Amino acid sequence: MGEVIVITSGKGGVGKTTTSANIGTGLAMLDKKVVLIDADIGLRNLDVVLGLENRIVYNLIDVIEGNCRLRQALIKDKKYSNLHLLPAAQTKDKAAVTPEQMLKLTESLKEEFDYIIIDCPAGIEQGFKNAIAGADKALVVTTPEVSAIRDADRIIGLLEANEIRNSRLIVNRLRMDMIRRGDMMNINDVVEILAIDLIGAVPDDENVVISTNNGEPLVGNETLSGKAFMNICKRITGEDIPIIDFDGEKSFMKKLRNMMKFGN
Amino acid sequence: MTNNNVLIKGNKYGLTIILDKHVDFEIVKDQLKDKIVEASKFFEKAKLAITFENRELTNDEQRELIEVITNHSSINVICVMDNSEKEELHFKKKLDEKLQELSFNTGQFYKGTLRSGQLLEVENSIIVIGDINPGAKIISKGNIIVIGSLKGTVYAGAGGNENAFVVALEMLPMQIKIGDIIARSPDNQSMAPKTNKDPHIAFVDQGNIFIEPLSKNIINEINLM
Repeated sequence: MGEVIVITSGKGGVGKTTTSANIGTGLAMLDKKVVLIDADIGLRNLDVVLGLENRIVYNLIDVIEGNCRLRQALIKDKKYSNLHLLPAAQTKDKAAVTPEQMLKLTESLKEEFDYIIIDCPAGIEQGFKNAIAGADKALVVTTPEVSAIRDADRIIGLLEANEIRNSRLIVNRLRMDMIRRGDMMNINDVVEILAIDLIGAVPDDENVVISTNNGEPLVGNETLSGKAFMNICKRITGEDIPIIDFDGEKSFMKKLRNMMKFGN
Repeated sequence: MTNNNVLIKGNKYGLTIILDKHVDFEIVKDQLKDKIVEASKFFEKAKLAITFENRELTNDEQRELIEVITNHSSINVICVMDNSEKEELHFKKKLDEKLQELSFNTGQFYKGTLRSGQLLEVENSIIVIGDINPGAKIISKGNIIVIGSLKGTVYAGAGGNENAFVVALEMLPMQIKIGDIIARSPDNQSMAPKTNKDPHIAFVDQGNIFIEPLSKNIINEINLM
């Protein structure tokens, strides 16, 4: 039986779709069978980020309304044959799906795939309720900005209210230079406010924009963010990998100091 | 003989029976009997509270009248209400005080982080084991104790009790309301250095809310009614 993971944030524009694409691809690289569901009905873009836009014939609504079989709507990735995408409909609105229908869909996908990754729309309305309906687990994406953190907090509360308790946090778009100057919250500050476990932190990286525009996720390549996404995927599969410290030398000194403290 | 010495009126809870105070009690009793018989079909098996008005009655007289009502109809008299407004107010005040004291001295626990958008409303004092995040709100008729950091909005002593207090291990509230007094955090707090994580207490003194470290002196001054 597979695991259903919803990727959500509350606030828009924090990088849910990029995260979904990279995590989906990363898990596929780790030889897992993965399906990505774009639950942002009315505004689809996960297909664009994956570079699969031109292959869409059927979409999620077609499956739910019975216009096609589930298999027909699943799009195989160009590089990884064990990665599939179920795209959203652009012409219908979010109310076209009910949570019960989503639950049924994820239940049937669970039988075949190891991971079902759902890209949740921003906000807390119908689209959110649909996206979390069948979820076993949630990854909450936030950036280190108060508005994003506040909305993430609200989302975690709603997830808990819907009995999804094992949420993990991804802090996206960290700017090390700003953190060092004290102009941006660091990872610990964010984790302390939200009080859920961190599964990964991704630095702000211009390669993300390049890869998104090219339709090729950067997970697994040698960039900092590529490595960060790969580490998140490994942690999802249960590997125990320490969080990358982007803070270089300074953090080494800090660690040393901490060790001295322990010594005393 | 006019039959206007007894008048029966309906009110919110039951019946108001207006009695003439100048005629003999026996006449009043007889007339009440007539009226009740007349109306008994209408009030069939009703459960009512009875109020007597316009005539001072001794306890015996009152009992006799109630007997007349119950013997001649199927009305179920639940209680006889005193219609003195002063008495009622006094009673209500006593009841409120008692309830407030109860909510003040009994408490309940809540475990977990209260998150943005969540509201916790309780009748008693509350002890939260966890954080109150910005955007979350607690309303309690008693005291509020937070074993964690308080960054949201709290309302202690809801109902007007200014003796209520708020304690938190880390006190960074957005707003505190105690009784009818509201205090809010300073506007430039977000960039200010974090307060040290000593427990603080918020209380009302002379119409203002004060936040002070939870020292021995302060603890001694706390009055649990």
